[in-house]
Amino acid sequence: MEELDNTMIGRGRDAIDMIIDKDSFQENIIDGYSFDPDYGPGSVVGTAKLNGKPTTIIANDAMAFNDRFPVVFGGVIGLEEGYKMATAVYRTMEADKDKPLPEKRAIVLIVDTPGNGPGKMEEIAGMNKSTGGYQLALAEARKAGHPIVAMVIGRAISGAFLCHGLQADHILALSKDFGTMIHVMPLTSIARITKMDIERLEELSTSNPVFAAGVDFFYKLGGVQEIVNQVEDMREVIIRHIDEVAKLKAEGKGELLGPWGRGILGNERGGRTHRMEAIAKVNAEFAAVADKYINA
Amino acid sequence: MKNWTELENSSFFDANARERALGMVDKGTFTEFLNPLDRYCSPHLPVLGTAVEFDDGTVCGVGLLGKHPVFVVSMEGKFIGGAIGEVNGGKMVATIRLALKAAADIKAKYPEEYAARRPLVAVSFETGGVRLHEANAGLLAHAEVMDAFQDCRGIVPVVAVVGSKVGCFGGMGFVAAATDVIVMNEEGRIGLTGPEVIEQEMGKDEFDASNKALVYRTTGAKHKYIIQDCNYLVEDKIGEFHKTLAEVAEIPMAEIEKMRRIGSLKLVQEQQELVKLVGDMQPKDSMDLWKYFGNEDPAALPEMTTAEFLKVVKRRVRS
Repeated sequence: MEELDNTMIGRGRDAIDMIIDKDSFQENIIDGYSFDPDYGPGSVVGTAKLNGKPTTIIANDAMAFNDRFPVVFGGVIGLEEGYKMATAVYRTMEADKDKPLPEKRAIVLIVDTPGNGPGKMEEIAGMNKSTGGYQLALAEARKAGHPIVAMVIGRAISGAFLCHGLQADHILALSKDFGTMIHVMPLTSIARITKMDIERLEELSTSNPVFAAGVDFFYKLGGVQEIVNQVEDMREVIIRHIDEVAKLKAEGKGELLGPWGRGILGNERGGRTHRMEAIAKVNAEFAAVADKYINA
Repeated sequence: MKNWTELENSSFFDANARERALGMVDKGTFTEFLNPLDRYCSPHLPVLGTAVEFDDGTVCGVGLLGKHPVFVVSMEGKFIGGAIGEVNGGKMVATIRLALKAAADIKAKYPEEYAARRPLVAVSFETGGVRLHEANAGLLAHAEVMDAFQDCRGIVPVVAVVGSKVGCFGGMGFVAAATDVIVMNEEGRIGLTGPEVIEQEMGKDEFDASNKALVYRTTGAKHKYIIQDCNYLVEDKIGEFHKTLAEVAEIPMAEIEKMRRIGSLKLVQEQQELVKLVGDMQPKDSMDLWKYFGNEDPAALPEMTTAEFLKVVKRRVRS
């Protein structure tokens, strides 16, 4: 990749400062709860003010290393990181559990992660539970009414994007001009694993949103709600999306948000129409036999 | 194809996705959605010059366990490694959500009998996760499944059934972890990062992917059972899986919730204890952990039959 002087890759902590109200970030604090500052250093959690309102921030720290789990560096989400992020979400829900819907605080995910911890110790302990646990926490918070907005500032790669981003209500991404990367695997790896010709793949990748890497293709599939073209705009766009999401929740339109909402959007944008058709057919086929199963 | 009675006595490991789907539910009760005659295939594979399958590699449908409707998803590892793309991902999500619709219908119609008629979701995982030929759509489908599972919480049990050749890896590794109950045979494997990728990351000295015994000790069912990531370890017969699902269908939802490993702050804290143990111990092999949990001769465990293993094994004590 060519060097970009404006890229935000590796700058998760800078991004927090660009987005929040000036000097308002209290790292490792959510309501009355304090996190151990040494735990899960690859992720950053805490509370900031955004447009004057308390907001939970969850980000990656690409400059941190985890001494206990050496696979964690460069923004990798390891065992500790995933559980720390999950805890931040549960503590956020706890903080607002008695508050009415409009007062449920927002959660902003700042995404720059190349992967989930790949390693023997990770598999022995079950890395799948760490990343899965965080996703379930986000899904629960989203359904409980917290607006969750993810801002992809750098890398959002495969399972790590599923972990940190794809359970949000709305996903925003800096444009490709900033070197933003959203994909499952680079083409070279896809070519190796699928045994397909790399030249043919390269040719197809210019036009096929279903497998090719890139922010614009994810936009077409509904995976990205809006592309942000200036770093300076991140703050305003995030605030606007938090308000939009909160409004939809207040109107009981949660189905337009989150992964299911992205499916609807992907159909509207023409990038993912077969999914919707398959779902409709399955529903119709069940409806035809439902009596037999409901009244067994 | 084998008839239902033959299937019950057949190996789950050797069975294809459709045989597993048919055999996990009561005799003659399975209705498949978008079956191969519908020929609803992936539109993306031909573009890349790859052959399609008429069921897109995943069998979805509904059957019965007594009066319980069972919404079944069964993945076929022989077709592109059981991986998830746009169409089979959509089928999977739709099938899971139908369980919730059925639950609402049954609650409305049979309020007194809900427990006896409560639906169930059973997913037979045989997959490496995202189908690279349509990677972006497959990735987004994973998130939809996680979302649908969270919707099922406390309403219908979601059961992972893992015991086929490919195992359950990649994104589907955490999808399986996010279910309520996990049922495995001895050959079942669940993980996030596949053995080849770990070897690539850590070097062959640290992790040799061609060492099958090591691979099984790291992600296999016996290890999962010891650390409490597998709720039922059963003999490799489709009928055993059928019987276990029928048992789960009767368990009250409050008890089902206790069988989970993730999905609440308390469970996160419990898993953090395990992570701390692993961080302190820096195990070279899963057997270090088996020994810690009270198995005096861990090297003997992989050799045992399932029945012998279940008799002697010591498991992690849940807090």
